[in-house]
Amino acid sequence: MSRALKEKIIKNVLFLFALVSIIVLALIIIFLFMEGVPIFGVVSLKGFLFGTEWYPTYDPPEFGIWPLIVGSIVVTFFSALIAVPLGVLSAIYIAELAPPLVKEIFKPVIELLAGLPSVVLGFFGMAILAPWLQQTFDLPTGLNILNASLILALMAIPTISSIAEDALYSVPQEFKEASYALGATPFETVTKVVVPAALSGISTAVILGMARAIGETMVVLMVAGGAAAIPESIFDSVRPMPASIAAEMGEAPFRSDHYHALFATGIVLFFMTLGFNLFADYISHKFKEVGSATL
Amino acid sequence: MIRLDDIIIQAKNVNFYYGSFKALIDVTIDFEKNKVTALIGPSGCGKSTLLRLLNRMNDLIDGTRVEGEVIFEGANIYASNVDPVDVRRRIGMVFQKPNPFPKSIFNNITYGPKLSGISRKTDLEALVERSLIQASLWNEVKDILSQSAMMLSGGQQQRLCIARALAMKPDVLLMDEPTSALDPISTAKIEELIEELKKNYTIIIVTHNMQQAARVSDYTGFFYLGKLIEYNQTDRLFTTPDVKQTEDYITGRFG
Repeated sequence: MSRALKEKIIKNVLFLFALVSIIVLALIIIFLFMEGVPIFGVVSLKGFLFGTEWYPTYDPPEFGIWPLIVGSIVVTFFSALIAVPLGVLSAIYIAELAPPLVKEIFKPVIELLAGLPSVVLGFFGMAILAPWLQQTFDLPTGLNILNASLILALMAIPTISSIAEDALYSVPQEFKEASYALGATPFETVTKVVVPAALSGISTAVILGMARAIGETMVVLMVAGGAAAIPESIFDSVRPMPASIAAEMGEAPFRSDHYHALFATGIVLFFMTLGFNLFADYISHKFKEVGSATL
Repeated sequence: MIRLDDIIIQAKNVNFYYGSFKALIDVTIDFEKNKVTALIGPSGCGKSTLLRLLNRMNDLIDGTRVEGEVIFEGANIYASNVDPVDVRRRIGMVFQKPNPFPKSIFNNITYGPKLSGISRKTDLEALVERSLIQASLWNEVKDILSQSAMMLSGGQQQRLCIARALAMKPDVLLMDEPTSALDPISTAKIEELIEELKKNYTIIIVTHNMQQAARVSDYTGFFYLGKLIEYNQTDRLFTTPDVKQTEDYITGRFG
């Protein structure tokens, strides 16, 4: 067999594999829409998104997922409040300030955290965090927004930290040298030169970490409490979208309205994570093109 | 050869190690105030190491060690009570590759002064203008001060880096092969600038380009394998060197 032919075959085989993954993904999305869209024959798009009653098994049923959307947003927001500072600051410490020995220990440990199965984290939230919260704050249940936010933050930290760290590493050494040569301290160099230069990468890290938190199912299913109502405090239970889908799919009769409503919830979730990812992509490209923007 | 009063900075019996590798061997050299001193020699001879030693930039590299003294205005900058940050504010540096910050032209220049406590807007504006005029860049950028420094040409970026160093009002300006990444026209501009700057500053320049050393400097030191082989007035070193090795190098027999 000639070398050129061999090359051609290899190229085409790889193309085929790439094509298969894309087609499978496309089919899943088509399926998601096919199974989700019929619900809009029963309830209007506005009524579905902003309706505050989620009683899919009542007679007549109510398909308003606003409490689920609020649940997802609230839990993601509070986990961001915890995970963003911890993730970004630990990345800054590891990338710029830590002595080599500390770096060698911290970096793999944080990455190991990313490898923890979410069900294990959820178990921890259920068995240890929930009783503790219940006792400490004298609550009816420890399965609530605070618990879910804490556990989700634990999951998002490694993502944020390792992507932000890569961004900090890729800041050219020349910038740091220039800063030191002007009489800056290491801390001033990090805050005024390195972090601004890595800002687009750090933003990407934050957004991807949050995208991970909003789509995460197991943790919120286990520790968010499952109440499909709009929460009034961070000690209330919520039912984020992924938890609702996972909990109810097994009981919803095939191709019933409830079944379609759950798929439609999946579509909403899909658009939210897609939005996060597109935004992350936009931010990371925006600054690159001008060779870093004016800060 | 240099009068004691005119010495601004001197290295005394300096040895320098990268790990176990000895990069400088017993170097003693005096630098005269308001003159241009060139350091030449083949790659790896220690000339850049010596330059970076003079404002403690080598501190930033792990596993390095210094022996001997560097006396700046009567005090050893390697004494234990000296903060390298203070040294670097008095002894500025320009690097081989232009390295402006990804900030506006204005903010590039005010970066150092702001850190050292200047905060009044009018002071900063005056400083920016003065520094850019000194670096002969003012006319080219005075209308685009708020734009990113990254959009300037390589030669303009390097002059911006010089302006940025001058904004700290340093006593000594170290230049590490400042024109090696630039085209001949930009190089000529920087050389003119060096000529102009030596009225007010002491300049120490590392260069690979012997013609450049001959053109811009008053004194030249020739380094080889970590040793200072010959240190002399530039016209003398390039015409009638005292040491055979120097002659071999400048006539192109090695290096």
